[in-house]
Amino acid sequence: MMEKLSENIMDKVSIDFLRDQVLKNAYGNDDTPIAQLDPRVLLLWYLFFALVPWFLNDVVVLMGMFVLTAITTRLARVAPLVLFVFALGVFSQTGYMFVASLLFGGDMSTLAPLLVLTLKVATVSLASITVFSGLDPDKLSNGLLWFGCPERLSFSISFAYRILPILMEEMQNILLSYRMRGRAPEHDTFGGKVRWVIYQVKTIVQSFYPLMLNTAKRSRTTVEALELKGYRYAATNMKVLKIKLSSLHAGRREAVFAFVSAAWVACCFACPAALEVLL
Amino acid sequence: MSTYAERGATQSQKLMVFVLSMSLYGLATLISELIPSVQIGIVELSVEFFLFIPLTLAMLFDPLSAALGAATGELVFSEIMLGQFGGLGELEKFLTVTIGVYIAGLMVRDPRNAKQVAIAAITGPAIQLAMSAVVDIVKVQVAVDDFEAVAGLPESVFATEGFAFLNDLCFSGILFCLLPTLFLVPRLYGKIEPLLGCKPRTPENDAAPTLSGRVIAWSAVGFIVAIVVACVSKAGFSIIEWEAEWAESQIAIFTGIGVAAVVALIVAFWARRSAQLRNA
Repeated sequence: MMEKLSENIMDKVSIDFLRDQVLKNAYGNDDTPIAQLDPRVLLLWYLFFALVPWFLNDVVVLMGMFVLTAITTRLARVAPLVLFVFALGVFSQTGYMFVASLLFGGDMSTLAPLLVLTLKVATVSLASITVFSGLDPDKLSNGLLWFGCPERLSFSISFAYRILPILMEEMQNILLSYRMRGRAPEHDTFGGKVRWVIYQVKTIVQSFYPLMLNTAKRSRTTVEALELKGYRYAATNMKVLKIKLSSLHAGRREAVFAFVSAAWVACCFACPAALEVLL
Repeated sequence: MSTYAERGATQSQKLMVFVLSMSLYGLATLISELIPSVQIGIVELSVEFFLFIPLTLAMLFDPLSAALGAATGELVFSEIMLGQFGGLGELEKFLTVTIGVYIAGLMVRDPRNAKQVAIAAITGPAIQLAMSAVVDIVKVQVAVDDFEAVAGLPESVFATEGFAFLNDLCFSGILFCLLPTLFLVPRLYGKIEPLLGCKPRTPENDAAPTLSGRVIAWSAVGFIVAIVVACVSKAGFSIIEWEAEWAESQIAIFTGIGVAAVVALIVAFWARRSAQLRNA
């Protein structure tokens, strides 16, 4: 039973699966309500939700903000793998602390401060998942460019999404060809297990040798193509920026989004006071 | 400029090194982010595992481009693409990785000299690990008010951080930075440079600056910025609370003024930027 389960998990976590998930995350959700918003408004929205939760200590307000970011993440239709990594990250930051405090004789009273911390971390990360995973990479880099971020950063973002699937496939091919040529040591005994790990690590390090040479060729092609288009001069020229950023448009949809978010947050802040009056 | 170009480091070649280092290190960190870190006893195979890639590139090419490329690659591939962008906290990692790789690349004058490569390949990670350990210690000191008053806390923080540093350096540093770099640098030397259209690095044609006082001073400045940023991102709320104490009665007014100021700033920036682009 256990063997079958681990086999099942290993089947799922192959490089193909990772590639599919990353690609799906980048390009698979153009039609969501979040992806259609203006990147500038979303970046400002992110700035608010990345900073403000750290300054708050009220569970009700934090809970309200968490619900809002959870809804936007749902709307952005983020790939499951990203959510899994998020859950793992939140647990490893605060969850294990609770387990540890239980082991050392703590009780449920330790839960409250940990809940506040967990809510803060979760809200901030969900906001970043919404913005950075929900948006098309080109839109995201245009938005950053508009705010005056260095051109190299926005170029890196667009380039990364395009080059990643190719690189992953190439790395997998190289790894597989190494595996076909070599023979992995038996790993039944402890010594064999150690030898097996050393063998795997050696294979990965060695496969970076052809990968580096291939990528060097590719990056020369990329840069030469960019030079042909006058990339280095265009990046700092206002006229080029104007043409490039003319697709950005903030209209009624963005206003509604901003208003709903602001109203929700205001309600969260007003809620504790309102409860006090009522009770 | 022409003499600089003859030495084999034009702007476009620097961009090529940047792109190369960014994509390779980015891919490596993305994979190591997705696969939970493997722990064998006390040895942890984590991100430092892949630091040999930028180290090798920094020794063979222009060190600054390779270092910046690696830090950007990590930021873009494993933080932004996975939506794990933590804001200010990421800047600390960016700076420490850049400084560590850059200094390691500057230490090598001749990539064919195995001794130089070995010393640089262990010093680079050591600098990076030491800086992040110091940042962690300072973070705890700032976050806990009476750091010295809590019995045993300073000792335990120094002990755990020191132990983690030594553990990382001895196992990850030697196994995953020193040995792979020693394996890759001689093999790639003379083969990878023609692919980018430049000459192999030798002591005679070296265009990189020597490891001078200026480089060290700038590294120190970067390190201090990293500490400050880490503290602000960790303890930002305590600063605000301290401000709120003297304004307790007028807290609502101050909040209102703050919100209005932020909104006004955003609107002003938006209008200015739009006008700038329209008039271009």
